[in-house]
Amino acid sequence: MKSPDDAPGQQLDDLDFEILDGIRALFERVDPMPADLPERVRFSLAMRGLEREVARLVTEEDPRLVGARGTEQSRTVTFDSASLSIVIRIEENKNGSVRIDGWLAPPQPRGIEMQTTAETLSARSDEQGRFAFAEVPQGTARLVVVGSGARDRADGGPSVVTPALVL
Amino acid sequence: MDESTSVTAPPDRVGRSERSARMAELLDAARGGSEDALGQITAELSPVLWHVARAAGLGADDAEDVVQTAWERLLSHLADIRVPQALVSWLVVTTKHEAWRLRSSGRRQRPADQEWLTAIPDEAAGAEEQIVLDEQQRALWRAVGRLSAQCQELLRIVAFIPRPDYQSVSAALGMPVGSIGPTRGRCLEKVRVLLADELDGRRA
Repeated sequence: MKSPDDAPGQQLDDLDFEILDGIRALFERVDPMPADLPERVRFSLAMRGLEREVARLVTEEDPRLVGARGTEQSRTVTFDSASLSIVIRIEENKNGSVRIDGWLAPPQPRGIEMQTTAETLSARSDEQGRFAFAEVPQGTARLVVVGSGARDRADGGPSVVTPALVL
Repeated sequence: MDESTSVTAPPDRVGRSERSARMAELLDAARGGSEDALGQITAELSPVLWHVARAAGLGADDAEDVVQTAWERLLSHLADIRVPQALVSWLVVTTKHEAWRLRSSGRRQRPADQEWLTAIPDEAAGAEEQIVLDEQQRALWRAVGRLSAQCQELLRIVAFIPRPDYQSVSAALGMPVGSIGPTRGRCLEKVRVLLADELDGRRA
């Protein structure tokens, strides 16, 4: 019981909990969270809006299924939600990642996120509703059109989330 | 060595299951679109995330950004998160990941590591703004200061995680259960030894 290496496997006891409580109390005093941080978080979340729409897969066109057009390995996927349509074209890059080009209809500038299992990539659509991710790792991902607070404007709306896509 | 068992006030073990139940209710309400419920969740869990970000070595401004980002990301994942334990682990892991991403982006050159470690004035208190620690707390602080950076980070995070969530958070962080979960790991064992040493040293 003297060596730390003997110890793993023991249940936490009262002293462990007291030490952890002590460490928490110390950090609360030495380096406290800024008191107004939760309020600012709350504000920014309210701006983004809790509402979200789940987009539905409408069509998926895969050249490997409908007949290859040359050597291009690309497919086009269309999603629909109450407020938006999203079309994306997925193309394989030489390095194994994929390139994604997308369009929003109606066209509008919005924050776009590609959530992969490893990380979340961010982009923005332009006035024509176009966006692109040059390199997305292969795997499972989904696209989020980030909600915009400007609901009274034509280009505002709730977040739209697509189902998971296999890239 | 009775003193070593009374480092701080006894932990509050009351109401933990009520807390879980309340968080589960808030989570349901937030998923249903209640901004108020989400606000209460952010009030409850933002401190954990702050300490996760700071423990990862971020400066105060960056830590705030990372906490904000984690909450914003949560919005599009809320539908997948069913239980409060999953919520805490998801937020902790996302904050850690974002902190790592920010640090490795190269934009932040000045490492803020250990900035907080020097924040404690040693013996020379006096000014009323300074943090006054009692003997036990100083001993614990010195013991923590002697830990490896990795153990300091881990224990700082664990200390802020609601206890019912240890297991799921440890699994989510990909750490062996022994180092964070319900069993005592190397870091906790080490801090016990160092604490006893600090308390002895003071008396010698």
